[in-house]
Amino acid sequence: MDGDLDSRQTNRARAQRQPDMRRVVYRETHSSRAAVATVAAVLVMGLAGYGLLESAVHAIGQPAWLIEPQLAAERIVALPAGIPPLLLGASGGVVAMVGLFFLLNAVLPGRRARHVLNGTTLNGTGNSSAVVVDDEVIASALARSARLAANVTPEQVMVVVSRRQIIVNVRPTSGVPVAEAAVLAAVQDELSGMSLVPVPDVRVNISNVGVIGA
Amino acid sequence: MTATPSLLNRILLGILGLKLLAVGILLVLLATVPPVATWWHAWSGSAWRSVKQFFDNTRFPGRPESWLWIVMAFALVVLIGLMVAWIAQQGKGRSNLLVAEYDPGTVAGDVRISGGVAEQALKHALAERPDLAGATVATYDVQGSPALKIRLQPRQGVAPHLLAAEVSALVDALDQVVGKQTPVLIHIGAGARTRFSRAERVR
Repeated sequence: MDGDLDSRQTNRARAQRQPDMRRVVYRETHSSRAAVATVAAVLVMGLAGYGLLESAVHAIGQPAWLIEPQLAAERIVALPAGIPPLLLGASGGVVAMVGLFFLLNAVLPGRRARHVLNGTTLNGTGNSSAVVVDDEVIASALARSARLAANVTPEQVMVVVSRRQIIVNVRPTSGVPVAEAAVLAAVQDELSGMSLVPVPDVRVNISNVGVIGA
Repeated sequence: MTATPSLLNRILLGILGLKLLAVGILLVLLATVPPVATWWHAWSGSAWRSVKQFFDNTRFPGRPESWLWIVMAFALVVLIGLMVAWIAQQGKGRSNLLVAEYDPGTVAGDVRISGGVAEQALKHALAERPDLAGATVATYDVQGSPALKIRLQPRQGVAPHLLAAEVSALVDALDQVVGKQTPVLIHIGAGARTRFSRAERVR
Protein backbone atom coordinates (compact mmCIF):
# COMPACT_ATOMS: atom_id res chain seq x y z
CA MET A 1 0.00 0.00 0.00
CA ASP A 2 2.81 2.36 0.91
CA GLY A 3 4.55 1.72 -2.39
CA ASP A 4 1.36 2.54 -4.27
CA LEU A 5 1.05 5.91 -2.53
CA ASP A 6 4.66 6.76 -3.26
CA SER A 7 4.35 6.01 -6.94
CA ARG A 8 1.20 8.09 -7.12
CA GLN A 9 2.97 11.08 -5.65
CA THR A 10 5.87 10.83 -8.04
CA ASN A 11 3.39 10.55 -10.90
CA ARG A 12 1.77 13.77 -9.79
CA ALA A 13 5.10 15.55 -9.49
CA ARG A 14 5.96 14.38 -12.98
CA ALA A 15 2.70 15.48 -14.52
CA GLN A 16 3.23 19.07 -13.41
CA ARG A 17 6.52 19.35 -15.26
CA GLN A 18 6.22 20.27 -18.93
CA PRO A 19 8.55 18.52 -21.33
CA ASP A 20 11.20 20.55 -23.08
CA MET A 21 9.80 21.22 -26.54
CA ARG A 22 13.21 22.23 -27.90
CA ARG A 23 14.43 18.72 -27.15
CA VAL A 24 11.40 17.18 -28.82
CA VAL A 25 11.91 19.36 -31.91
CA TYR A 26 15.61 18.47 -32.00
CA ARG A 27 14.67 14.79 -31.94
CA GLU A 28 12.28 15.34 -34.80
CA THR A 29 14.62 17.32 -37.05
CA HIS A 30 17.64 15.04 -36.54
CA SER A 31 17.75 11.43 -37.53
CA SER A 32 17.78 8.73 -34.90
CA ARG A 33 20.66 6.33 -34.50
CA ALA A 34 18.47 3.59 -33.08
CA ALA A 35 18.77 1.30 -36.11
CA VAL A 36 22.55 1.72 -36.42
CA ALA A 37 22.94 1.25 -32.67
CA THR A 38 20.95 -1.98 -32.84
CA VAL A 39 23.13 -3.26 -35.69
CA ALA A 40 26.27 -2.38 -33.72
CA ALA A 41 24.95 -4.08 -30.60
CA VAL A 42 24.08 -7.24 -32.55
CA LEU A 43 27.56 -7.24 -34.08
CA VAL A 44 29.23 -6.94 -30.69
CA MET A 45 26.90 -9.60 -29.30
CA GLY A 46 27.84 -11.99 -32.08
CA LEU A 47 31.56 -11.52 -31.48
CA ALA A 48 31.14 -11.77 -27.72
CA GLY A 49 28.98 -14.87 -28.11
CA TYR A 50 31.70 -16.60 -30.12
CA GLY A 51 34.33 -15.53 -27.57
CA LEU A 52 32.12 -16.80 -24.77
CA LEU A 53 31.73 -20.18 -26.46
CA GLU A 54 35.45 -20.61 -27.00
CA SER A 55 36.45 -19.45 -23.54
CA ALA A 56 33.81 -21.59 -21.85
CA VAL A 57 34.89 -24.63 -23.87
CA HIS A 58 38.49 -23.89 -22.90
CA ALA A 59 37.65 -23.40 -19.24
CA ILE A 60 36.17 -26.87 -18.91
CA GLY A 61 39.07 -28.40 -20.84
CA GLN A 62 37.24 -29.45 -24.00
CA PRO A 63 38.69 -29.14 -27.52
CA ALA A 64 37.99 -25.81 -29.23
CA TRP A 65 35.06 -25.36 -31.57
CA LEU A 66 36.64 -23.48 -34.49
CA ILE A 67 40.18 -22.56 -33.48
CA GLU A 68 42.27 -22.91 -30.36
CA PRO A 69 42.70 -19.40 -28.82
CA GLN A 70 46.46 -19.88 -28.43
CA LEU A 71 46.83 -20.89 -32.04
CA ALA A 72 44.73 -17.92 -33.13
CA ALA A 73 46.88 -15.52 -31.11
CA GLU A 74 50.07 -16.98 -32.57
CA ARG A 75 48.72 -16.61 -36.07
CA ILE A 76 47.76 -13.00 -35.39
CA VAL A 77 51.26 -12.28 -34.09
CA ALA A 78 52.77 -13.76 -37.26
CA LEU A 79 50.30 -11.88 -39.40
CA PRO A 80 51.68 -10.75 -42.75
CA ALA A 81 52.85 -14.33 -43.15
CA GLY A 82 50.34 -17.16 -43.54
CA ILE A 83 47.73 -15.28 -45.56
CA PRO A 84 47.80 -13.80 -49.09
CA PRO A 85 48.54 -10.04 -48.79
CA LEU A 86 45.68 -9.24 -51.15
CA LEU A 87 43.17 -11.03 -48.92
CA LEU A 88 44.63 -9.41 -45.81
CA GLY A 89 44.46 -5.95 -47.34
CA ALA A 90 40.94 -6.48 -48.64
CA SER A 91 39.60 -7.73 -45.32
CA GLY A 92 41.35 -4.83 -43.57
CA GLY A 93 39.67 -2.44 -45.99
CA VAL A 94 36.26 -3.95 -45.28
CA VAL A 95 36.76 -3.72 -41.50
CA ALA A 96 37.96 -0.11 -41.85
CA MET A 97 34.91 0.76 -43.96
CA VAL A 98 32.52 -0.70 -41.37
CA GLY A 99 34.36 1.24 -38.67
CA LEU A 100 34.17 4.44 -40.70
CA PHE A 101 30.43 3.91 -41.19
CA PHE A 102 29.84 3.64 -37.44
CA LEU A 103 32.20 6.53 -36.69
CA LEU A 104 30.53 8.87 -39.19
CA ASN A 105 27.14 7.91 -37.82
CA ALA A 106 28.38 8.91 -34.39
CA VAL A 107 30.02 12.18 -35.42
CA LEU A 108 27.89 13.70 -38.20
CA PRO A 109 24.96 15.91 -37.14
CA GLY A 110 22.42 13.82 -39.06
CA ARG A 111 20.03 16.61 -39.94
CA ARG A 112 16.85 15.64 -41.69
CA ALA A 113 15.41 17.66 -44.56
CA ARG A 114 12.90 19.37 -42.30
CA HIS A 115 12.16 22.88 -41.08
CA VAL A 116 10.51 24.10 -37.91
CA LEU A 117 7.45 26.30 -38.32
CA ASN A 118 7.63 29.14 -35.87
CA GLY A 119 5.15 28.64 -33.04
CA THR A 120 4.09 32.28 -32.82
CA THR A 121 1.77 31.92 -35.80
CA LEU A 122 -0.29 29.31 -34.01
CA ASN A 123 -3.36 30.58 -32.25
CA GLY A 124 -2.62 30.76 -28.57
CA THR A 125 -1.09 27.34 -27.97
CA GLY A 126 2.28 29.04 -27.59
CA ASN A 127 5.08 27.09 -26.06
CA SER A 128 3.67 23.63 -25.65
CA SER A 129 3.14 22.77 -29.29
CA ALA A 130 5.58 22.65 -32.16
CA VAL A 131 5.26 22.12 -35.89
CA VAL A 132 7.90 20.38 -38.00
CA VAL A 133 7.50 20.30 -41.78
CA ASP A 134 9.27 18.17 -44.38
CA ASP A 135 11.10 20.26 -46.98
CA GLU A 136 9.16 18.44 -49.69
CA VAL A 137 5.87 19.81 -48.38
CA ILE A 138 7.29 23.35 -48.25
CA ALA A 139 8.54 22.93 -51.82
CA SER A 140 5.18 21.79 -53.13
CA ALA A 141 3.37 24.66 -51.40
CA LEU A 142 5.83 27.20 -52.80
CA ALA A 143 5.62 25.62 -56.25
CA ARG A 144 1.88 26.09 -56.15
CA SER A 145 2.10 29.81 -55.35
CA ALA A 146 4.89 30.31 -57.91
CA ARG A 147 2.81 28.52 -60.52
CA LEU A 148 -0.21 30.74 -59.84
CA ALA A 149 1.93 33.90 -60.01
CA ALA A 150 3.65 32.86 -63.24
CA ASN A 151 0.48 31.43 -64.78
CA VAL A 152 2.12 28.21 -65.97
CA THR A 153 1.35 24.51 -65.57
CA PRO A 154 2.66 22.51 -62.57
CA GLU A 155 5.22 20.74 -64.77
CA GLN A 156 6.93 24.02 -65.60
CA VAL A 157 7.84 24.88 -62.00
CA MET A 158 10.46 23.10 -59.94
CA VAL A 159 11.31 24.16 -56.39
CA VAL A 160 14.32 22.91 -54.45
CA VAL A 161 14.29 23.54 -50.69
CA SER A 162 17.48 23.12 -48.71
CA ARG A 163 18.30 24.24 -45.21
CA ARG A 164 19.23 27.84 -46.00
CA GLN A 165 18.21 28.29 -49.61
CA ILE A 166 15.18 27.92 -51.81
CA ILE A 167 15.60 27.80 -55.58
CA VAL A 168 12.55 28.30 -57.78
CA ASN A 169 13.05 27.23 -61.40
CA VAL A 170 10.37 28.40 -63.84
CA ARG A 171 10.23 27.46 -67.53
CA PRO A 172 7.86 29.93 -69.16
CA THR A 173 5.45 29.05 -71.93
CA SER A 174 6.97 29.99 -75.26
CA GLY A 175 5.96 33.53 -76.22
CA VAL A 176 4.44 34.39 -72.85
CA PRO A 177 6.89 36.35 -70.67
CA VAL A 178 7.03 35.59 -66.94
CA ALA A 179 7.63 38.44 -64.48
CA GLU A 180 10.43 37.34 -62.20
CA ALA A 181 9.53 39.97 -59.60
CA ALA A 182 5.95 38.75 -59.38
CA VAL A 183 7.05 35.12 -58.84
CA LEU A 184 9.59 36.20 -56.22
CA ALA A 185 6.98 38.32 -54.42
CA ALA A 186 4.46 35.46 -54.40
CA VAL A 187 7.01 32.98 -53.05
CA GLN A 188 8.28 35.46 -50.43
CA ASP A 189 4.72 36.14 -49.33
CA GLU A 190 3.95 32.45 -48.87
CA LEU A 191 7.27 31.94 -47.10
CA SER A 192 6.75 34.83 -44.68
CA GLY A 193 3.43 33.24 -43.73
CA MET A 194 5.27 30.05 -42.80
CA SER A 195 8.06 31.83 -40.84
CA LEU A 196 10.48 28.94 -41.04
CA VAL A 197 13.43 28.38 -38.73
CA PRO A 198 16.14 28.78 -40.07
CA VAL A 199 14.99 31.38 -42.63
CA PRO A 200 16.04 30.37 -46.15
CA ASP A 201 16.90 32.79 -48.97
CA VAL A 202 14.83 32.65 -52.14
CA ARG A 203 16.25 32.66 -55.65
CA VAL A 204 14.12 32.58 -58.78
CA ASN A 205 15.54 31.30 -62.05
CA ILE A 206 13.53 31.99 -65.18
CA SER A 207 14.68 29.64 -67.92
CA ASN A 208 15.78 31.13 -71.25
CA VAL A 209 14.13 28.28 -73.11
CA GLY A 210 10.36 28.26 -73.27
CA VAL A 211 7.99 25.32 -73.39
CA ILE A 212 5.89 24.90 -76.51
CA GLY A 213 2.26 23.94 -76.29
CA ALA A 214 1.91 24.15 -72.53
CA MET B 1 10.07 12.12 -29.60
CA THR B 2 11.03 8.75 -28.21
CA ALA B 3 13.34 8.25 -25.26
CA THR B 4 16.16 6.83 -27.36
CA PRO B 5 19.43 7.67 -25.55
CA SER B 6 20.94 9.71 -28.38
CA LEU B 7 24.14 10.76 -26.61
CA LEU B 8 24.83 7.19 -25.43
CA ASN B 9 24.22 5.93 -28.96
CA ARG B 10 26.70 8.42 -30.36
CA ILE B 11 29.36 7.60 -27.77
CA LEU B 12 29.08 3.83 -28.11
CA LEU B 13 28.93 3.98 -31.91
CA GLY B 14 31.96 6.25 -31.89
CA ILE B 15 33.97 3.86 -29.71
CA LEU B 16 33.05 0.86 -31.86
CA GLY B 17 33.73 2.76 -35.08
CA LEU B 18 37.15 3.95 -33.91
CA LYS B 19 38.17 0.45 -32.86
CA LEU B 20 37.07 -1.17 -36.12
CA LEU B 21 38.71 1.60 -38.13
CA ALA B 22 42.00 1.16 -36.25
CA VAL B 23 41.96 -2.62 -36.75
CA GLY B 24 41.12 -2.27 -40.42
CA ILE B 25 43.87 0.30 -41.07
CA LEU B 26 46.36 -1.88 -39.19
CA LEU B 27 45.47 -4.86 -41.38
CA VAL B 28 45.84 -2.82 -44.57
CA LEU B 29 49.19 -1.45 -43.41
CA LEU B 30 50.39 -4.94 -42.50
CA ALA B 31 49.55 -6.12 -45.98
CA THR B 32 51.19 -3.21 -47.78
CA VAL B 33 54.00 -1.60 -45.73
CA PRO B 34 56.87 -3.96 -44.69
CA PRO B 35 58.27 -1.77 -41.82
CA VAL B 36 54.88 -1.94 -40.12
CA ALA B 37 55.13 -5.74 -40.23
CA THR B 38 58.48 -5.75 -38.41
CA TRP B 39 57.14 -3.31 -35.78
CA TRP B 40 54.04 -5.46 -35.38
CA HIS B 41 56.11 -8.62 -34.84
CA ALA B 42 58.15 -6.94 -32.11
CA TRP B 43 55.22 -5.30 -30.34
CA SER B 44 52.61 -8.07 -30.54
CA GLY B 45 55.20 -10.79 -29.84
CA SER B 46 56.18 -9.22 -26.54
CA ALA B 47 52.53 -8.52 -25.67
CA TRP B 48 51.57 -12.13 -26.42
CA ARG B 49 54.46 -13.45 -24.29
CA SER B 50 53.35 -11.39 -21.29
CA VAL B 51 49.73 -12.52 -21.74
CA LYS B 52 50.87 -16.15 -21.92
CA GLN B 53 52.95 -15.66 -18.78
CA PHE B 54 49.90 -14.27 -17.05
CA PHE B 55 47.79 -17.26 -18.11
CA ASP B 56 50.47 -19.65 -16.86
CA ASN B 57 50.53 -17.91 -13.49
CA THR B 58 46.77 -18.21 -13.00
CA ARG B 59 46.39 -21.94 -13.50
CA PHE B 60 44.24 -24.04 -11.25
CA PRO B 61 46.59 -25.98 -8.99
CA GLY B 62 47.17 -29.34 -10.61
CA ARG B 63 45.29 -28.60 -13.87
CA PRO B 64 46.45 -27.21 -17.20
CA GLU B 65 43.64 -24.61 -17.60
CA SER B 66 43.78 -21.12 -16.21
CA TRP B 67 40.85 -19.79 -14.20
CA LEU B 68 41.20 -16.65 -16.30
CA TRP B 69 39.03 -18.38 -18.92
CA ILE B 70 36.13 -18.46 -16.49
CA VAL B 71 36.64 -14.77 -15.71
CA MET B 72 36.70 -14.03 -19.43
CA ALA B 73 33.51 -16.02 -20.05
CA PHE B 74 31.83 -14.16 -17.22
CA ALA B 75 32.96 -10.78 -18.60
CA LEU B 76 31.61 -11.70 -22.02
CA VAL B 77 28.25 -12.68 -20.49
CA VAL B 78 28.14 -9.26 -18.83
CA LEU B 79 29.01 -7.60 -22.16
CA ILE B 80 26.21 -9.46 -23.95
CA GLY B 81 23.81 -8.44 -21.20
CA LEU B 82 24.84 -4.80 -21.59
CA MET B 83 24.29 -5.00 -25.35
CA VAL B 84 20.79 -6.43 -24.82
CA ALA B 85 20.07 -3.58 -22.40
CA TRP B 86 21.35 -1.09 -24.98
CA ILE B 87 19.03 -2.47 -27.66
CA ALA B 88 16.14 -2.40 -25.21
CA GLN B 89 16.65 1.34 -24.75
CA GLN B 90 16.03 2.11 -28.43
CA GLY B 91 12.75 3.64 -29.48
CA LYS B 92 11.11 3.52 -26.08
CA GLY B 93 8.51 6.09 -25.18
CA ARG B 94 5.11 5.11 -26.55
CA SER B 95 2.51 5.29 -23.82
CA ASN B 96 -1.19 4.73 -23.38
CA LEU B 97 -2.20 7.41 -20.93
CA LEU B 98 -3.08 10.99 -21.86
CA VAL B 99 -3.93 12.05 -18.31
CA ALA B 100 -3.08 10.27 -15.05
CA GLU B 101 -3.76 12.49 -12.06
CA TYR B 102 -4.98 12.26 -8.53
CA ASP B 103 -8.31 14.01 -8.08
CA PRO B 104 -9.03 14.99 -4.45
CA GLY B 105 -12.65 15.95 -5.21
CA THR B 106 -15.82 14.69 -3.48
CA VAL B 107 -14.87 11.16 -4.46
CA ALA B 108 -11.12 11.03 -4.10
CA GLY B 109 -9.27 8.87 -6.57
CA ASP B 110 -7.14 8.65 -9.68
CA VAL B 111 -8.38 9.97 -12.99
CA ARG B 112 -6.89 8.31 -16.01
CA ILE B 113 -7.74 9.13 -19.60
CA SER B 114 -6.39 6.81 -22.25
CA GLY B 115 -4.42 8.19 -25.16
CA GLY B 116 -6.93 6.45 -27.40
CA VAL B 117 -9.39 9.26 -26.63
CA ALA B 118 -7.17 11.87 -28.24
CA GLU B 119 -6.11 9.54 -31.03
CA GLN B 120 -9.65 8.59 -32.01
CA ALA B 121 -11.05 12.13 -31.68
CA LEU B 122 -8.31 13.76 -33.75
CA LYS B 123 -8.26 11.00 -36.34
CA HIS B 124 -12.00 11.29 -36.77
CA ALA B 125 -11.81 15.08 -37.08
CA LEU B 126 -9.02 14.86 -39.65
CA ALA B 127 -10.42 11.94 -41.65
CA GLU B 128 -12.88 14.01 -43.68
CA ARG B 129 -10.47 16.72 -44.78
CA PRO B 130 -9.98 16.59 -48.55
CA ASP B 131 -6.49 18.11 -48.38
CA LEU B 132 -5.01 15.27 -46.30
CA ALA B 133 -3.88 11.96 -47.74
CA GLY B 134 -3.34 10.51 -44.28
CA ALA B 135 -3.10 11.34 -40.61
CA THR B 136 -1.86 9.38 -37.62
CA VAL B 137 -1.95 10.34 -33.96
CA ALA B 138 0.17 8.71 -31.26
CA THR B 139 0.66 9.29 -27.55
CA TYR B 140 4.19 9.44 -26.19
CA ASP B 141 5.72 9.68 -22.78
CA VAL B 142 8.22 12.56 -22.90
CA GLN B 143 10.30 12.86 -19.75
CA GLY B 144 7.48 11.55 -17.63
CA SER B 145 4.63 13.61 -19.02
CA PRO B 146 2.28 12.67 -21.85
CA ALA B 147 2.54 14.30 -25.26
CA LEU B 148 0.79 13.85 -28.58
CA LYS B 149 2.42 13.44 -31.95
CA ILE B 150 0.23 14.21 -34.93
CA ARG B 151 1.63 13.16 -38.27
CA LEU B 152 -0.12 14.69 -41.27
CA GLN B 153 0.37 13.86 -44.92
CA PRO B 154 -1.10 16.70 -46.95
CA ARG B 155 -1.70 16.48 -50.66
CA GLN B 156 0.63 18.39 -52.95
CA GLY B 157 0.47 22.17 -52.78
CA VAL B 158 -1.23 22.51 -49.39
CA ALA B 159 0.18 25.43 -47.40
CA PRO B 160 1.69 23.86 -44.25
CA HIS B 161 1.23 26.89 -41.99
CA LEU B 162 -2.51 27.14 -42.63
CA LEU B 163 -2.90 23.39 -42.08
CA ALA B 164 -0.92 23.61 -38.85
CA ALA B 165 -3.05 26.49 -37.58
CA GLU B 166 -6.28 24.58 -38.25
CA VAL B 167 -5.01 21.40 -36.64
CA SER B 168 -3.80 23.26 -33.57
CA ALA B 169 -7.29 24.73 -33.26
CA LEU B 170 -8.54 21.13 -33.13
CA VAL B 171 -5.94 20.38 -30.46
CA ASP B 172 -7.15 23.39 -28.46
CA ALA B 173 -10.67 21.99 -28.58
CA LEU B 174 -9.35 18.64 -27.39
CA ASP B 175 -7.52 20.35 -24.53
CA GLN B 176 -10.82 21.97 -23.50
CA VAL B 177 -12.50 18.57 -23.40
CA VAL B 178 -9.71 16.83 -21.52
CA GLY B 179 -9.26 19.81 -19.20
CA LYS B 180 -5.50 19.85 -19.41
CA GLN B 181 -3.07 21.27 -21.91
CA THR B 182 -1.15 18.48 -23.63
CA PRO B 183 2.09 19.29 -25.45
CA VAL B 184 1.69 18.50 -29.14
CA LEU B 185 4.15 17.92 -31.94
CA ILE B 186 2.66 18.32 -35.41
CA HIS B 187 4.75 16.75 -38.13
CA ILE B 188 3.68 17.63 -41.65
CA GLY B 189 5.42 15.16 -43.89
CA ALA B 190 5.52 13.76 -47.36
CA GLY B 191 5.34 10.12 -48.29
CA ALA B 192 4.48 7.80 -51.12
CA ARG B 193 0.78 8.49 -50.63
CA THR B 194 1.21 12.23 -51.16
CA ARG B 195 3.76 11.93 -53.94
CA PHE B 196 1.61 9.85 -56.24
CA SER B 197 -1.75 11.35 -55.43
CA ARG B 198 -3.29 14.19 -57.39
CA ALA B 199 -2.78 17.75 -56.27
CA GLU B 200 -5.42 19.43 -54.16
CA ARG B 201 -7.14 21.97 -56.40
CA VAL B 202 -9.98 23.24 -54.25
CA ARG B 203 -8.10 25.22 -51.64
